[in-house]
Amino acid sequence: MDRTGERPGGPLAVSTAGLTKRFGERTVVDDVALAIPSGSVCGFVGPNGAGKTTTIRMLLGLVRPTSGSGTILGGSLAEPATYLHKVGALIEAPAFYPQLSGRENLKALARLGQVPLTAVDPVLERSGLLARAGDRYRTYSLGMKQRLGIAAAMLAGPELLILDEPTNGLDPAGIVEMRGLIKSFADDGITVLVSSHLISEIEQICGYVVMIRAGRLVHQGSVAELRATQRAEFQVAPEHDADRDRLARLLRQAGCTVTSGDAGGVLVVDAPGAGAADLNRLAAQNGITVRQLAEHTRSLERAFFALTGTKSEDVPDGQEMGAIG
Amino acid sequence: MMWAAFTSEWTKLRRPTLLFSTFLGLAAAASLFVVLLFSQASANGGIVTLHQLAEPNGLVIGVARAAMLLGVVAFGIAAAQVASEYSLGTLRQLLVRQPRRTVLLAGKMLGVITFLVLALCFAAVVALIVAVAAAHSRGVSTSAWFTGTGLGDLFRELGDLVLATIGYSVLGMSLGQFVRSAVFAVIIGFAWLIAVENIIARIVPASQQWLPGASILAVASGGGEGVSYGHGLILGGAYLVAAICAAMTVFVRSDVTA
Repeated sequence: MDRTGERPGGPLAVSTAGLTKRFGERTVVDDVALAIPSGSVCGFVGPNGAGKTTTIRMLLGLVRPTSGSGTILGGSLAEPATYLHKVGALIEAPAFYPQLSGRENLKALARLGQVPLTAVDPVLERSGLLARAGDRYRTYSLGMKQRLGIAAAMLAGPELLILDEPTNGLDPAGIVEMRGLIKSFADDGITVLVSSHLISEIEQICGYVVMIRAGRLVHQGSVAELRATQRAEFQVAPEHDADRDRLARLLRQAGCTVTSGDAGGVLVVDAPGAGAADLNRLAAQNGITVRQLAEHTRSLERAFFALTGTKSEDVPDGQEMGAIG
Repeated sequence: MMWAAFTSEWTKLRRPTLLFSTFLGLAAAASLFVVLLFSQASANGGIVTLHQLAEPNGLVIGVARAAMLLGVVAFGIAAAQVASEYSLGTLRQLLVRQPRRTVLLAGKMLGVITFLVLALCFAAVVALIVAVAAAHSRGVSTSAWFTGTGLGDLFRELGDLVLATIGYSVLGMSLGQFVRSAVFAVIIGFAWLIAVENIIARIVPASQQWLPGASILAVASGGGEGVSYGHGLILGGAYLVAAICAAMTVFVRSDVTA
């Protein structure tokens, strides 16, 4: 098993069947069957409002499923007390008592969970907050609040860590730091379920991905498998801009789908069954010199759109899908 | 496990701002009441006579009148402690660490009740010291206060106040659980205790003995007009059991989306 925990056929940290939640007439999560391998770093992606947070709340016993069943770390979803002592969670924005210090907030949680108070300072140190642990929570920056949330999640020495949008509101440096923290949890063998609407984040840290849209499971599996199902695309640019249209015509005649790239006369080519050498040869045989020829694996974002049969512009307001995930 | 929830709640309750404001606030209010009582007392009448204040139960004469104030404070603090878990979003953290909701709520209630009872006892001690000083300044003899009869009256009244504080706290926490907003819980509670029950009792006097606030107030004051002590104790207890059961049921069954 690699660091990201891809372990086909191995034990599952989280498995659900027919997990459904309705609020009145509105179905928020619909018949979701999760199968998250133990030891994996699993990305949970979908647009805002897709049902990620409600699913997570059901896993944590905060929201009662309308129907469905599940097992988490061997405990029944219907009895959260059987498994939550092995779970750490950061749910949406971190929430603590503003008047208490970071350390006192963690002590309150440690006492409640019957965790030794000696566990508090090590998790504060690991999350980089030890120096400010005595300051009141209300004086913390957003990044520090997020780190305290991570520290709280780590308090009980979890086997499963559930992080709901952990990079929300963080600056680029904070995002990089958070990424490093999550990778370090994986190094410790902790199963991490991390939800995000930023698929680029998921691509960088996760080896396993669960995609959800409008409450329904769209795809789950290893990121490598998902990428393998996606055809590569090429970016081709002729040396002379004057050759651009002719090259595009030649490629189309050869059965390729050609669209314009962002800038600089670059053509984006979907070439089923062809490789970079084939495209280069075609151009050379027709007297066109290629100054750029690059092969790109399609991003998870495009994979998501391909799987759901949607385009980013199809996504309703509030379901930011250029930020899937 | 309930002990864990209790100690966790106390970690929050003992923060200096809440601790000092509650303990010192209640002590100041009780002391102010004592000072006003002694300053307004006269030889011939008024709220109370100087002769009455010198009797064995002189120390607790004014307590009945202050009970409503203490009750309102206890109610407000208790309601805010529960409701703020929703408004701050901290409830989800608590429930991940203690998913047995009845245990969590029971520990929380026990924590808040002990906090308020201790605040009440502290206020009583401070008020007692102020009362002795006020008595000396008005020439009222305090020797009868510290006889067996006087101390018996004092501790009986303190016991009644503790029972009433528990009652107001439970009602406050239950309402906070239903309303899930500290501000609304306090507004609704204050409006009910101070205004609505009074209006109902004036329009339909016979209804007074069935009202929750009046029942608890009767316990606090050792029995009042329209509601006897025993009736208040039984009916108030019944209201508290009903409130706890309702709050537990709602808490156990509800989805936490805050």
